[in-house]
Amino acid sequence: MIPNIHWNLISLETTITAVLALFILLDILIGKTQKDWMGNLSLVALFAMILMWFRGDHIWGQMFSGMYIVDSLAWFFKGFFLLTMFFVLVMTQQFFRSLEQRKDEFYLLLWLALLGMLLIASSADFLLLFISIEILTVSLYVMTAYLKRDKHSIEAGMKYLILGALASGLFLYGISFLYGAAHSTRFVVIQQFVADQPTNPMLLFGFVLIFSAIGFKIASVPFHLWVPDVYQGAPTPVTALLSVGSKAAGFVILLRLLFGVFAPLHDHLTLILAILSAVTMCYGNLAAIPQKNIKRLLGYSSIGHAGYLLMGAAAGSTLGAAAITFYLLGYLFTNLGAFLVIVLYFVVSKNDEISDYSGLSQRSPLLACALFLALMSLAGIPPMAGFFGKFSLFIAAVQNGLVWLAFVGAANVIISLYYYLMVVKRIYIDPPISAYPISVSWPVRLTLWLAMAGMIGIGIFQGPFLDIALAAVKGMF
Amino acid sequence: MPGLSHYLILSGILFSIGLVGVTTSRNVLKILLSLELLLNAANLSFVAFSRYNGDYTGQLVVFFVMLVAAAEVAIGLAIVVLMYRNAKTIQADDLKELRW
Repeated sequence: MIPNIHWNLISLETTITAVLALFILLDILIGKTQKDWMGNLSLVALFAMILMWFRGDHIWGQMFSGMYIVDSLAWFFKGFFLLTMFFVLVMTQQFFRSLEQRKDEFYLLLWLALLGMLLIASSADFLLLFISIEILTVSLYVMTAYLKRDKHSIEAGMKYLILGALASGLFLYGISFLYGAAHSTRFVVIQQFVADQPTNPMLLFGFVLIFSAIGFKIASVPFHLWVPDVYQGAPTPVTALLSVGSKAAGFVILLRLLFGVFAPLHDHLTLILAILSAVTMCYGNLAAIPQKNIKRLLGYSSIGHAGYLLMGAAAGSTLGAAAITFYLLGYLFTNLGAFLVIVLYFVVSKNDEISDYSGLSQRSPLLACALFLALMSLAGIPPMAGFFGKFSLFIAAVQNGLVWLAFVGAANVIISLYYYLMVVKRIYIDPPISAYPISVSWPVRLTLWLAMAGMIGIGIFQGPFLDIALAAVKGMF
Repeated sequence: MPGLSHYLILSGILFSIGLVGVTTSRNVLKILLSLELLLNAANLSFVAFSRYNGDYTGQLVVFFVMLVAAAEVAIGLAIVVLMYRNAKTIQADDLKELRW
């Protein structure tokens, strides 16, 4: 008997595959042109997919004998990744305006990365999870080293590849031990096995290796070493994708494993996760202080944010998981807004040094305002999205008896405020390095407004967004 | 007659060699070779578990891993070529432009 396959569950992924095939074909037919047809077509295809995402809501199910599942968490994060892709596409179009290099392959790689992220959100089997992580990271390696005449880009690509491949080696070796213990790679089977024999040594060994690999993805201490270099060297749209898409993908895996497969072990992990969270926060925020390059600064700040997010994982409650989801949603608008400004400024100045941002407010009030709001949201100033996200993470930690962790978090907010405000001072108080105003085209303006609306809207109207986050994680408990 | 533990010990040794290679090698090509060792150590343990558990999933996984390893190494080598063209070196120590 042929099993009944519900193709609408996998409609987004099939669409991406079709788009990729179409683009490869069109690329051959059209050849080299000055027009950025692939970027515009990508945006159209992405809007179609976002509509499909809205239509497909609340149709849950599983495919391929339980290897691929669609539940509320998967669907929420699929929407999350589509939105990330929108911002990154806009950035890519702007970024490559200033460069000589061919960019068509870049769009193909972006779509491939999106495919990987969407599959990660739906994985319910370690084999599928491994392959989708590889689809994501392998396309990220190529994109990181994409500027082939820029030695920073190549160096970042090489470093990312070596450490990323090391992480996937650890991950795979870990999976092999889970498979050896539980006789299956399926999440449900392993979850049953963990509940039966939580102290099986092979299981624990595999668990430790897998969590090191996830630590690499979310950029938590002690697996953070790649972050500053890769963030600085990679083309800015890739940095944005790494800081939001790749990190969120890591957290989906973390949520699925920590609150699903390895849930019986969670009581023993609370302290370890809390310590990791505290160390990650402190490291990220303290190391960000002396930075002179804005992408590197945001790299360290992204390590700090991984620390805040781990707080929710340490709490381990429904609220903790919902707080992670909510925080990531705010982080999407905030961080992508900041990176969009960095891209637009790079197009003009060809530079990412913070000293070059002097007097940005006089050259472009819109860019200055967007960057100011984004930095305030990253620091966690009310009424921005970052404030309420941190607040809910702190509440989740306190509710589960981790009061000290909430204090460490609060101290880190103050530290981070210092280096974010140093950038703000440059933008608003220092004299401009050049008197030329920076012009921003209207589609990009709209995107900037959307990012700002997201940062402020999620911060002010927290209720509906927190409900969305709670609904997304509800299925796991 | 070798048992499961023998295969696992061998794969553990391979994995350790890989880890040491990645962390201590200066030459980028050597690092890529060591990364291959890591993945192949995992492959060996998959196949061993598959044989002794009497379940074929493990052998299936190995095919996918070989594919992934090939893709990873192809990209790695491409980046090494770019690195050589730009900096005329393939020593990992020379990757030091990015730091504060």
